[in-house]
Amino acid sequence: MKEQRSQSNRFSSGNNRMVSLEKIVFGITRILTYIILFCACFIFWDIISKGSRKLFTDDGFINWSFLSQSPQTLHVIEHNGEISKLSSDEYFKFKEELSDSAWDELNTRDEFTKVQKRLKANLVAATEVTSNELQKSLLTSFIQDEQTEATEKFNYWMELLENASSHAPDFQVSSEDIPYLVGRFILSFLDQTKLKYSLLETELSFFQALHYPKIDHLSSQSIQKIKLAYFNLLEEHLHKIWEAYIAEKKNLKENINDFLQSPSSTSFSTLESQIIAYMENPLLLKESSANLWEAITADLQWIGSEHRIEVPSKDYAYSGGGIFPAIAGTILLVGGAMLIALVLGVCCAIFLSEYGKSGKFLSLVRLSILNLAGVPSIIFGLFGMGLFVIFLDWNVSIIAGWFTLAFMVLPIVITASEESLRSIPKGFRESSLALGSTKWTMIRTSVLPYAMPGILTSAILGVARVAGETAPIMFTAAFAMRSELPWEGLEHWTDFFFQGVMALPYHIYVISKIPQNEYTVDMQYGTALVFLILVFLLASLSFIIRSRLRRKFNW
Amino acid sequence: MIKGKKAFTYPVAIDVKDLSFSYGKTEVLSSISLQILQNQVTSFIGPSGCGKSTLLRCFNRMNELIEHAKITQGSVLINELDIYEKSIDPIELRKRIGMVFQNSNPFPKTIYQNVAYGLKIQGLKNKRKIDEIVEDSLQKAALWDEVKDRLNENAYELSGGQQQRLCIARTLAVQPEIILMDEPCSSLDPVATARVEELIFNLKQEYTIVIVTHNMQQAGRISDLTAFFYLGKLIEFDETKKIFINPKMQQTEDYISGKFG
Repeated sequence: MKEQRSQSNRFSSGNNRMVSLEKIVFGITRILTYIILFCACFIFWDIISKGSRKLFTDDGFINWSFLSQSPQTLHVIEHNGEISKLSSDEYFKFKEELSDSAWDELNTRDEFTKVQKRLKANLVAATEVTSNELQKSLLTSFIQDEQTEATEKFNYWMELLENASSHAPDFQVSSEDIPYLVGRFILSFLDQTKLKYSLLETELSFFQALHYPKIDHLSSQSIQKIKLAYFNLLEEHLHKIWEAYIAEKKNLKENINDFLQSPSSTSFSTLESQIIAYMENPLLLKESSANLWEAITADLQWIGSEHRIEVPSKDYAYSGGGIFPAIAGTILLVGGAMLIALVLGVCCAIFLSEYGKSGKFLSLVRLSILNLAGVPSIIFGLFGMGLFVIFLDWNVSIIAGWFTLAFMVLPIVITASEESLRSIPKGFRESSLALGSTKWTMIRTSVLPYAMPGILTSAILGVARVAGETAPIMFTAAFAMRSELPWEGLEHWTDFFFQGVMALPYHIYVISKIPQNEYTVDMQYGTALVFLILVFLLASLSFIIRSRLRRKFNW
Repeated sequence: MIKGKKAFTYPVAIDVKDLSFSYGKTEVLSSISLQILQNQVTSFIGPSGCGKSTLLRCFNRMNELIEHAKITQGSVLINELDIYEKSIDPIELRKRIGMVFQNSNPFPKTIYQNVAYGLKIQGLKNKRKIDEIVEDSLQKAALWDEVKDRLNENAYELSGGQQQRLCIARTLAVQPEIILMDEPCSSLDPVATARVEELIFNLKQEYTIVIVTHNMQQAGRISDLTAFFYLGKLIEFDETKKIFINPKMQQTEDYISGKFG
């Protein structure tokens, strides 16, 4: 019966096993495709949903401060029962405002007026310029003190050397080791006075004691020589120190005037930090006003403790502010690298497709370019660090990043450009040549313009790759943190090329390596979303240019 | 067909002497000798691969651009100068000898830019002069009336026949003496072909024309002299009338009567 049916209908669905296999293959391919689609959707949804928390404000507007500020530390504070998240700038401003209002309150207290009056009087007295004669005598005594101290030390060392055997037990060494010991003492003393290197350059270069492991004959005579040389330099050195001290004092006096004219919380803070630095100078003690300063410090401390309000905060590094330097850095890196890659790559492609004669050499070149495309990007990073950063001494800089990234995308650019040059009809070349153009004129006027859309395709591929790579720039161009923008604070225009920048992919890497919390996660996803949008924009820019050219050169 | 003078009394424009040519080890032309006469249309006929296009490309040294292609013996003289001598600049040579190709291949630019291209690459900057030459060339190519109002349109908006005439105008703009045509009508319909043929007939007053064609009727219609090639050899070269009515060689007769090819 069955046989008969299959005979009567030659197209009946005969082999059931083949049909079910067909169905299984269809099902598997379909399910796998859906899984991949699902994964892709999930990734995008994840980045967009989490990233928009940072990129958009709660009312749905774009969070411009995220796009325009530098990365900062996030301070989470509790003030008057309210929790607020502030970037460093906002936090310090907030503290300043608090202090200002406290200052105003303090101003109403009689006690404060009294202390302020005393402080002002003391400050004026303490910074009064001492007469020249007094200064001279102070300086002389300063120099004398230093010399006396040094003489005492040198005498002690000479004595040590002369009576080595009796002093040896004090240091628990044998008497032969005493010269070494003295050499070491001298060295550390000279280190303290910071005169060692100038001494080394002048009188003492002959003296082996200064290369202390080699000391073999250290006599009291040689110590005498060192002492003489030291004293010669000392006076000059102390003069310089003194002058610097006087200059600092004058500087301080001006700042005090600022405070005296308009006392406020801000000018008080500036003054306070300056006075603290000034107090550390040992020369202050030589002046007669030493006890005045003690009174001043006490008053400063009192005012400070009375009006300063501490706002305790939890600090999260990199979680506040924005990512503008990283956006700017990425655009700069991508733009420059693509420019270099296109110039180099198109030149190479022109040679390969137009000038090169087919042969072993050319196929070797092609093979190596293809191999270059397979090199991991971290290797390009190492290569860039070795060649540009270290050997050419460009340091970590934009230009080193440009060249490293350019070399990384060269294979893509060369291959795609060559392909596009080859696809230009032979007729264009021939008719151009037949009209009497040279080869270069032919390439320039009737090959390159028409190959431009294809070359821009390579640029699109390149942009996505250049923008996305972290490895090549982490040794060559990227800084973890630099709040200054690349075009700020340039002394000379060439400095622009020799500075490191922040970059989005590296920034994501950096904020993923620090201790994690809810704030850094927001920052990561926000950065990732901005990064995706930026790459999309850069690529679509080349895309638009390409389609315009295509419409123009249509054949 | 040949009015007034007999064809062979015209002065010689291109003198090919015992020319052999090969691509690598394959010889494609062997010992060709013929003379192209001034202000005459000479057509090259023969089956595919017989070397007629190769010979044509020898006249403006376009063959040099192909790798491993070289002349193995003989010479090509134009104005009694051997064009393969070292002192000859192929760029200058190609300005004197224009070429029109099989496929109409205008550049994807405007009609005006296409005609002006040859002048621009030669460094001519005078706009009025260029305008003049463009108009003149288009008129000579019998295209002016059709395109004078749309000079700034893309050349690819023209029809196939118009495109080919544009290519001829582009060649004329450089003011050559000799025009080489490599199967100019092979991709055109009969009407467009007729217009190009008419154009060729008019152009021969001023230019020497060499045309390669697959179409024997076309050779019969437009040329004064015809050369028949077969397997890299010149079989017969004579006045067109003689070749078509009374060929001397058997192979020529077979080809013309359609026995092969």
